[in-house]
Amino acid sequence: MSSEKRKIAYIDGKPYEIGSNHTSVLKFVESYLGEKKVPALCNDPNLAPYGACRVCSVEVALVKDGPTKVVASCHTPVAENQHIFTNNENLTALRKNIVELVLTDHPMECGTCEVNNNCELQDVANDLGISDHRYNTPKQHKGIPKDTSHDYMRMNLDNCINCGRCVRACDEIQGSFVLTMSGRGFESKITTDNDALFGDSSCVSCGACAHTCPTDAISDVYQSKSVAVDEKVRTTCSYCGVGCNLEASIKDNKVVAISTPKESEVNAGHTCIKGRYAFGFYDHPDRLKTPLIKRNGKFEEASWDEAYDFIKKELNRITKESGPDAIAGISSARCTNEENYVFQKMIRAAIGTNNIDCCARICHSPTAWGMQQTFGTGAATNSTEDIYHADLFMVIGANPTNAHPVTGAKIKQQVMKGKKLIVLDPITTELAQLADYHIKLRPGTNVAILNMMLHYILKANLYDKDFVRDRTEGFANFIKEIERQDMDHLAKVAGVDKQLVKEAAIAYATAKNSMEFHGLGVTEQEQGSKTVMLIADLAMITGNIGRRGVGVNPLRGQNNVQGAADMGCQPHQGAGYFEVADEKNQDFYTEKYGVVHPTKAGLKIPEMFDGAINKEVKAVWIIGEDIVQTDPNSAHVVQAMNSLELLVVQEIFMSETAKLATVVLPGTTFLEKNGTFTNTERRIQRVNRAVPPLPGTKTDGTIVTDMMQKLGFDQPEYDADQVLAEIADVVPFFKGVTRERLGKMGLQWPVQEDGTDTQILHKETFKLGKGRLKNFDWKESTEIETNKKEYPLILTTSRVLQHYNAATMTRRTSNINIVSEDLLLVHPNDANKRELNTGDIGRLYSGRGEVALKVEVTDKVKEGIVFTTFHFPEHMVNMVTGHGKDEETMCAEYKVSAVEVQKISNQFKTEIKPKENQAEVN
Amino acid sequence: MSKNISNLSGRIGLKNNLFEKISERSLKSSNADGIKEIAKEYHMGVSTIHGAESFYEFLRPSHREKKAFVCNGSACMCAGTQEPLKKKLQEKLGDDKVGEMFCLGHCYENKAFHYDGENYAGNDIDKIDQIIKGEDIAQEKFFSKSYASTSFLMDDKLSNLDQFKELLKKFIDTDKQEITKSLLDSNLTGRGGAGFPAGMKWDFCRKAPSEKKYVICNADEGDSGAFSDRYLLEDQPLKVLFGMIICGYVIGSDEGVLYIRGEYPKSIEAINGAINSLKKAGLLGENILGTKFSFDLNICIGQGAYICGEETALIASIEGRRAEVDVRPPFPVTEGLYKKPTVVNNVETLAAATGILINGADKFSAIGNKKSAGTKLVCFDSFFNNPGVYEVEMGTPMKKVLNDIGGGFKEPIKALQIGGPLGGVIPITEVEKLNLDFQEFTAAGFMLGHASIVSIPKDFPMVEYIHHLFEFSAEESCGKCFPGRLGSYRGKEMFDQAKNKTAKIPLKLLNELLVTMQKGCLCALCGAIPTPIMNILKYFGDEMKDDMVKDN
Repeated sequence: MSSEKRKIAYIDGKPYEIGSNHTSVLKFVESYLGEKKVPALCNDPNLAPYGACRVCSVEVALVKDGPTKVVASCHTPVAENQHIFTNNENLTALRKNIVELVLTDHPMECGTCEVNNNCELQDVANDLGISDHRYNTPKQHKGIPKDTSHDYMRMNLDNCINCGRCVRACDEIQGSFVLTMSGRGFESKITTDNDALFGDSSCVSCGACAHTCPTDAISDVYQSKSVAVDEKVRTTCSYCGVGCNLEASIKDNKVVAISTPKESEVNAGHTCIKGRYAFGFYDHPDRLKTPLIKRNGKFEEASWDEAYDFIKKELNRITKESGPDAIAGISSARCTNEENYVFQKMIRAAIGTNNIDCCARICHSPTAWGMQQTFGTGAATNSTEDIYHADLFMVIGANPTNAHPVTGAKIKQQVMKGKKLIVLDPITTELAQLADYHIKLRPGTNVAILNMMLHYILKANLYDKDFVRDRTEGFANFIKEIERQDMDHLAKVAGVDKQLVKEAAIAYATAKNSMEFHGLGVTEQEQGSKTVMLIADLAMITGNIGRRGVGVNPLRGQNNVQGAADMGCQPHQGAGYFEVADEKNQDFYTEKYGVVHPTKAGLKIPEMFDGAINKEVKAVWIIGEDIVQTDPNSAHVVQAMNSLELLVVQEIFMSETAKLATVVLPGTTFLEKNGTFTNTERRIQRVNRAVPPLPGTKTDGTIVTDMMQKLGFDQPEYDADQVLAEIADVVPFFKGVTRERLGKMGLQWPVQEDGTDTQILHKETFKLGKGRLKNFDWKESTEIETNKKEYPLILTTSRVLQHYNAATMTRRTSNINIVSEDLLLVHPNDANKRELNTGDIGRLYSGRGEVALKVEVTDKVKEGIVFTTFHFPEHMVNMVTGHGKDEETMCAEYKVSAVEVQKISNQFKTEIKPKENQAEVN
Repeated sequence: MSKNISNLSGRIGLKNNLFEKISERSLKSSNADGIKEIAKEYHMGVSTIHGAESFYEFLRPSHREKKAFVCNGSACMCAGTQEPLKKKLQEKLGDDKVGEMFCLGHCYENKAFHYDGENYAGNDIDKIDQIIKGEDIAQEKFFSKSYASTSFLMDDKLSNLDQFKELLKKFIDTDKQEITKSLLDSNLTGRGGAGFPAGMKWDFCRKAPSEKKYVICNADEGDSGAFSDRYLLEDQPLKVLFGMIICGYVIGSDEGVLYIRGEYPKSIEAINGAINSLKKAGLLGENILGTKFSFDLNICIGQGAYICGEETALIASIEGRRAEVDVRPPFPVTEGLYKKPTVVNNVETLAAATGILINGADKFSAIGNKKSAGTKLVCFDSFFNNPGVYEVEMGTPMKKVLNDIGGGFKEPIKALQIGGPLGGVIPITEVEKLNLDFQEFTAAGFMLGHASIVSIPKDFPMVEYIHHLFEFSAEESCGKCFPGRLGSYRGKEMFDQAKNKTAKIPLKLLNELLVTMQKGCLCALCGAIPTPIMNILKYFGDEMKDDMVKDN
């Protein structure tokens, strides 16, 4: 009973209850009396207490009228019945004297300072009524040259107060250890690396240092801490699936800087180089500002009406000649839920076909499908918050510190503090370097490794019998199949040490909470869906599902790829994941949309390409997807696009795909739109318009709605809020969603009618009732079987931190100055055989095509594997990637391409034109 | 406090210690060679390594370029021996080849220098040619004697391996709680300065749940005037090591480390020798004496940072972090080295623990009183007639300590600084009113601390003494807390100006500064330096009248 007793402490004589979150006197006081009650300079609520500035000193007494002691409130625990005095003459004198000392080494040029009126030192000094010091000619650290060497970061150490917040943010939030204090005592100062210039340092440009710096000692080129702006608008990032909350500063109708709100459940003030700094693309001169119609091979500017009429005419003609199934749409996971919803509605209800897909096809379609088969719901089972409750992480085929930087940083933080980590990856990623078990497998052998892990767990009798009995089905057959797996054979094909796999398996099974994350290294393989189902097995047999700190968690690549699928941008399921072929569902949609809903499952993206080449598909409408650069086997894609009668592309830039379009419609960026995005943890978050669409452009939702009206469909004028209301009516797990309810933090679906949301899925039961245990044997990828003789290396591709996919956006920011080309990583042994050295130009080729890339020789890649990124149209890496597909979902096998590399003496440009003999349809 | 760096460093641990790696690299190379490799091996940033190495005096290029160093501790300063010695060395080696080190532990002669890794008595300057040639110089030992009825620290009951083996056998077969009870009963308080009951510390750590725990011996005796730890490390190493091993046994630790200051090369040598002979005799290592108990010892060599005597800074230093003071809680007994439960004990505390186990707690507690029990080592500088280190019973009148044991002074002395640079400066007239007792000293506005005694001659200007104290804290401040970093430097500037006669000392501002440092600082370095300064202002203010202005 005593533990439930309310504990009290006194602040300036008044009693207050001590809460579990009151980890220090400062937090206790702040929670009741506000942040201003006790001043502080080195404190940041997102960092561990540090105790440097001492300005937060208070007096405490153990009993009423007892002797008092001065303590720094930020790192002093609250004790029961303690008396805390926040203010008296002595404390004021102490705080004043300390701040006075700070001012002895500060320029005091507030009027011209970036952070004037948004400076913590200025605030504290003003509140204490101090503006000068009394010391005689004190030595100052003045005139330190400003460091402007970095593309984004700025350092002005004259204004530094040595609070160490930047160093701690770099360590405790980002985990990059770029900044440090150096020297000691009065001569200690902030520096990067080994006294490098910021621009030459290992900085990853996350901006956490600038964000926490209380003065302008560290800031950025955008002066993001300046308050000389008209307005700040909170919105959601449009890069990866983490869904960072951002705050755009607006001046004269322009976005001048982006910062992050400290109170946000997703990112708590943190974000990455892309979210914080790579926004300059939004009003880049390259933005498309007028509709274009291609006539005689040349784009001509057109009015919106002309463009719409042109499209309408063509669509009507094609429908008339070939039926609605000759038309297909590819939606954009970068657009809002509302836009995706109206687009699939247009394709289905206004045109009348289920030929609608989105880029989930080439990323997490196997995840969605595989998890639907095993659990019933194709989405992350848990939340990012669970990272703080996990004891072990298993990261499969994902490089979150590059591709999902905030989630990556969170995992890294936990691992550095001693949580266990298993990484399955052919590449030594940043996380793999820290892993307890890095299983450096050959691409294409995930199924082999997972079978091994399942085998070892079952053999060691470490499975969760209660969970298996109560919540799964199919165990009897499952265990039989797993037990007969040949460990030596599987270890050999994967090229790993079986003992390491065994230890990892046992670690996964015996940790209190094991949390799994995976990326496209799982899905973009021939056995992608099978891998997902085996991951689900692993979680189920060890009981790592349905509670805090566990689960199966796909890291979704795009800001709204979860949402695009939720909204029905897939050919077999409509909005809310109802099978289109089911008559019951047809009636449901027919009632909602007011027209008869098509029942024939539509074409998946690769089928659309094949259909185009076969002249079955005549028109494709694409929103914001550069399939030419990003889909595999570019030559094949180009051929497909060139075979069409009508290609409509909604884009913000003239992408490689847009260049092939019949009509280009200028859409807008997320900064110019309202709506919602759904992140990787099913969190629906608001996107708020920061600036109006650039003149000549329209939001993608408006374009689609305009077109629907043109086509004679009764769809009201586009208004994101109204569309959201419509979605809530159609999609069951959006039932309780309203724009107001989403508030600042958003809600995680399913959202009940009363607005209650869901952090963890499958707590009591699966959507399928019991979880289905499924097993599969490993099988060599057809790509390898067919081509390994001629092309003995395996190419696997991914992203760098600084660029995003086709880099359409990031190439149009200063990120291009930081990373300006795709590099080919080659293992030293493979390099030796081919006489390749770092810096050489290598010809990377396969049966599909070839590209020239600069080589880096490194043992980061497994022997036999080469690695590169696909960000640059100059390189067109996807000329080389193949036709392999996930057996169930047709997700492209980007991660396994049989290739060869050859040293070439001079660089040549990669042609995008298809070579006839290399563009055959398989 | 970087939990990440602590944990990452702990992944590799003491056997391939990061701090040692950083020191080695830095001492070997004047450029950045190898720094990236270390960062990679430990999964840290290059900045982590650079930040740490730039913290230490010995690892700075300016230090590494020098050959010889003159002791600039308080005792040598008071004796005025530094300048002549420095000049002589400069004549031999060149002006830029001679630097300074803060206290070589030769306070019993108030004159010392360091050359190429060895310390020498000041008078050995006459043999500098031989020293430069690398010849061995016979060095005189300082005087030591116990004045206690039972000696706990200076006896010979643990001076060979046979004795060690017998005792170890006995105590690793004794109930752990019985040992902590014995320590608690003895009333032994930590001899490093903070005075926390040693038995309680061991017991807290014993109860802390963790598979891995550490024992640290704080042998970073930087206090000017003190050479008592040096005595124990060099003359009673087995007592110190025995204390560590038993502590390891009691708390459930299998690994300990002695952090010995680099200014004490002979101490490092002595401990190294003792550890090796214990290992050879099977008294350290796996399954000691056939029991389940395993324990190993390591040495970490300090690289010139006084702050490392503060336990959180010391832990940071071993971990390879910048030796900045960390906030407490958490205390080391629950989250210490590499974030694992750790006992940090001073050299004398560990030796006394051994003495108590040998002689019995009751004998120790019978001396002095509950808060100041047992015996204490006291060091006298060469202004005394009997310079050296002595074991004295707590509670002994200071008059007796100074006159009977110390033998009185060779020349007129106006004050003593007792307990190192952070201890009080006590006028001779006041000190004679006191007994050797921690609480009595504190109550009178002083601090007994480590009980080292530096004599301030009658004609030594107090302005200079305060300048010395401020300069010391400015030089040695870790730089983390604002009042410490800025306050100590501004204080030094005030006295620079007074010494140079460019400005008078603004007394009101000085007093405010001292209170700010005393109340505001994170640790005792900059937080306690005001104690001796305030003592001087109180008792010797008149002497400095002309250098001060009241208003400002």
